[in-house]
Amino acid sequence: MLQTRRLPSAAWRCTAQAPTQLYWGRRRWYVARSADNKRGEMDISTIPPERIRNFSIIAHIDHGKSTLADRLLELTGVISKTGKNKQVLDKLKVERERGITVKAQSVSMFYEYKGERYLLNLVDTPGHVDFSYEVSRSLAACQGAILLVDAAQGIQAQTVANFYLAFGQGLEVIPMLNKVDLPTAEPERAAKQIESAFEIEASEILHISAKTGLGVDQVLPAVIEQSPPPPGSLGKPLKALLFDTWYDTYVGVVCLMAVKDGSVRRGDRIVSSHSGTKYEVAEVGVMYPEQTPTTLLQVGQVGYVICNMKSIAEAHVGDTFYQDKHPVEALPGFVPAKSMVFAGVFPIDAGEFDRLNESIQKLTLNDSSVSVHKETSAALGQGWRLGFLGTLHMDVFRQRLEEEYDTNILVTSPTVPYQIKYCDGTSKFIRTPADFPDASYMQDHVEYTMEPFVVATLIFPEKYLGAMLELCTTHRGELQNHTFIDELRVMLKCRLPMAEIVTDFFDKLKSKSQGFASFDYEEAGYDASDLVKMEVLLNGEAVDALAAVMHKSSVVTAGREIAGRLKDVIRRQLFDIIIQTAANGKIVARETVKQLRKNVTAKCYGGDITRKMKLLNKQKEGKKRMKRIGKVELPQEAFLSIMTRSGNGGSGSDS
Amino acid sequence: MPEYTAAPGVYSVVIWLLPEYHYRYHERITGALIQELRYSLAPHKDKELRSIYFGGGTPSLALPGNIGRIIDEANKLVPLTNNAEVTLESNPTSAEVAKMRDFKLAGINRYSIGVQTLDDKLLRKMGRLHTGAEGLAAVDRAKTLFPGRVTFDMIFGLEAQTLQQWQTELKTALDHADRHISIYQLTVEPGTPLFRDQQAKRVVLPSGDVQVQMYESTVDICKDRGFRQYEVSSFATHQSAESVHNKGYWQGQQWLGIGPSAHSRFTDPASGQRICSVRIPDTRQWALQCERTGHGTGKALVVSDADAKQEAVVFGLRMLDGITNAQFTAVSGGESLASYLCMDRVRHYASEGYLQWNAQAACLAPTRRGMQVIDTILLEIIP
Repeated sequence: MLQTRRLPSAAWRCTAQAPTQLYWGRRRWYVARSADNKRGEMDISTIPPERIRNFSIIAHIDHGKSTLADRLLELTGVISKTGKNKQVLDKLKVERERGITVKAQSVSMFYEYKGERYLLNLVDTPGHVDFSYEVSRSLAACQGAILLVDAAQGIQAQTVANFYLAFGQGLEVIPMLNKVDLPTAEPERAAKQIESAFEIEASEILHISAKTGLGVDQVLPAVIEQSPPPPGSLGKPLKALLFDTWYDTYVGVVCLMAVKDGSVRRGDRIVSSHSGTKYEVAEVGVMYPEQTPTTLLQVGQVGYVICNMKSIAEAHVGDTFYQDKHPVEALPGFVPAKSMVFAGVFPIDAGEFDRLNESIQKLTLNDSSVSVHKETSAALGQGWRLGFLGTLHMDVFRQRLEEEYDTNILVTSPTVPYQIKYCDGTSKFIRTPADFPDASYMQDHVEYTMEPFVVATLIFPEKYLGAMLELCTTHRGELQNHTFIDELRVMLKCRLPMAEIVTDFFDKLKSKSQGFASFDYEEAGYDASDLVKMEVLLNGEAVDALAAVMHKSSVVTAGREIAGRLKDVIRRQLFDIIIQTAANGKIVARETVKQLRKNVTAKCYGGDITRKMKLLNKQKEGKKRMKRIGKVELPQEAFLSIMTRSGNGGSGSDS
Repeated sequence: MPEYTAAPGVYSVVIWLLPEYHYRYHERITGALIQELRYSLAPHKDKELRSIYFGGGTPSLALPGNIGRIIDEANKLVPLTNNAEVTLESNPTSAEVAKMRDFKLAGINRYSIGVQTLDDKLLRKMGRLHTGAEGLAAVDRAKTLFPGRVTFDMIFGLEAQTLQQWQTELKTALDHADRHISIYQLTVEPGTPLFRDQQAKRVVLPSGDVQVQMYESTVDICKDRGFRQYEVSSFATHQSAESVHNKGYWQGQQWLGIGPSAHSRFTDPASGQRICSVRIPDTRQWALQCERTGHGTGKALVVSDADAKQEAVVFGLRMLDGITNAQFTAVSGGESLASYLCMDRVRHYASEGYLQWNAQAACLAPTRRGMQVIDTILLEIIP
């Protein structure tokens, strides 16, 4: 049975769709145990840093990262070759379903090379742009990175982003071309792209097929040869970087650490540089692929530490730990994850608030990148304002909340964090449109408003250049440059307001390029922008949960669209419902849902009673799912109709 | 309040005669009906029968002698009250009109005719074998035999019908009407051929707005002619002309259904439980089971108190007189109407002119305006 490290809560284990159970086979123990090792802990102290490699695989979604990881684990006997190992590291249901990696994983392997035994730690990274924060965290524990590129698809936008992320952290980048066995593979062309984009010698590039195993035996030797061993010294006092955590119901917080200097073992007293709190180490070990206790963790090694930490809030990712009484200079740590997309989450049934509260708490235990604030909406009652790293992150969170915790929620349309500069010099971040000041207040008190921008990288075949340029300009984009990465493919960089990409940008990108364009972005600060609040009024009453902040230029189109969409989803009631959208105190659009004038069953006699009552009860159930705003009943779709995006924005797979 | 509120223990019997009855196993089915009647009425011997209704679409095709046998048998088992209502549904075809006198002799005292529409083309499309003129002639003929006790059905909202066409048709129909008429809006049920035709746009029905106008002008025209809309689709010139039998359904009284696919609602004297049941729909299967066991019940369920209360309100508010607290408490086990209903919503709809809540008389009734949208209102006032 797979004791998954990412499935700590009982709630998850109980779900019917727990991951496929895998047969792990007999482990091969490469390491001898000393006579006094009564606990049966694995002894890895004999492996010096020179024979340790910490590396990760970075790739665009679908370029075969998880499949390569499966092959490497099989090759080193960590998992058995049953032929059933499909994305072993993607343990969440949502990960398997969507083919994405949300949470980083780590696994240790032992490998004989030139007569020497090596300890190789593969630190997996999420593949999606939303999770680039997690990528950089994981990369901080590595010295090398395999840059995996699909030989048929060539370099994609995310390849570029991930390359620069790894390159920027000083990692040795080892390029490899995957899927070379495919008939559509063009390894020479892909190699040339790598050469021109990253200035890497094409002759050094390995050609492999993770699916068939072709060339996979060359991968680990290349890692050992090209990736430097971890720096650091065993003689120095302990210095360990906390780079990931998760919560386990039985032992509390499990910390994933990279030991930079010295060593740590059970019974040690370690101190957090961040808080000064002391902890006694209860267990150390490596992920092999599950938690496997070791006698110690020493310089260069990556493993887990359990130290009676009760709350995930204590585990400050990026923190440096040292031995009690032997303080060391703290590592620079990480910039905390920034929420870039906010959405309101409300229980459909107000009576579910407490249960939902508990579910959100449980889920955020293992996803500290979700920011949580209580929010009260006049229209929707008590709920939360949740901040996410991106729209995919939001979709994944919602899906997990609904599936793993069986909760019925209403998610309002996403918004980006706007900034308001007041005349008195103060400024404020706006997470929810309800907080955005009214037009009259703006005039007297607000100097200007700002919105976040991103720099987007788009890579696509040349023939879509016109369509892509148009897409960028219609989304208020500002073209920075475009370059040909080979004869046929263009890399385009443009600066876009973040708000534009949280709506339907990704869907449009895919449809306008027939699926051939790829897209990635990085944050690019704030710029002044002419922002207005679009309010929705139902029978003259503003509905806070339907408000949206947008650029002045979008007001007319969006106002009409929103009013039109609301008209389609609001059912007729016993009075006329006037839907208005307004910005800057002016009505932009108006629609009317006409009064329902007749609703009565014509024929109702003895034989019709059962059917009539069934129908009535069905309708009553439907009514329960409605939100009542004043006199007006709003179906859930009303809240979604404010979102212009359709489906999920930018998921894919990175198997 | 209507003069014939149910005294406990007054029953109605519905005799359901499906079309196949008349073409096959004629005598055998009459035998099965009588068997089922005996079996079903036996536990209720000490009660009275307030009405018998021969329905199911085509009872007028039956032999009057057989109808007479069934009425006599019922009367023998549970005596009919003095003013019991014995209705027969009929089609206005010449063959059936010819038997009208014999039906009267057999014991029928109220005659219901499926005129439907006066438009011959639509009647043909609906598969009816009569014309509009025959429909009206049948009404006229019935009035001479059952004076003051004739009713007929009309339907509006039919294919390509205009508001004016309907108004004209309705006025003509009312010229011939006796003291009662049932007027239905065409309802397109999902799964029916009409539904498919409408979806495929092979049939164009009047728009929603026109249907509303048709309904409203129906109520107005009937009112002008002295017909009160005592229920959504039922109109009568006087309270004494209202259908005793149908009001039994809307007032939550007890009835026993006899014949294939007939429904029943009654309190089982043995257990005191309220039972709803339905007979086997297939005529042959039903008859076989009657012969074997004495009854053709296909399914029987106990009606919970919660369901009974809900039904009492849902059906009570189909009538302009609404539901009284006394009627409600008869099924609620003592709970009052005011404690059951969402009274804040009731008061809201009363203030908006949709409902009338009379606290003194403890009676809840829809206004005309409320009756027109009662299905919407029910969703909010029922807990």
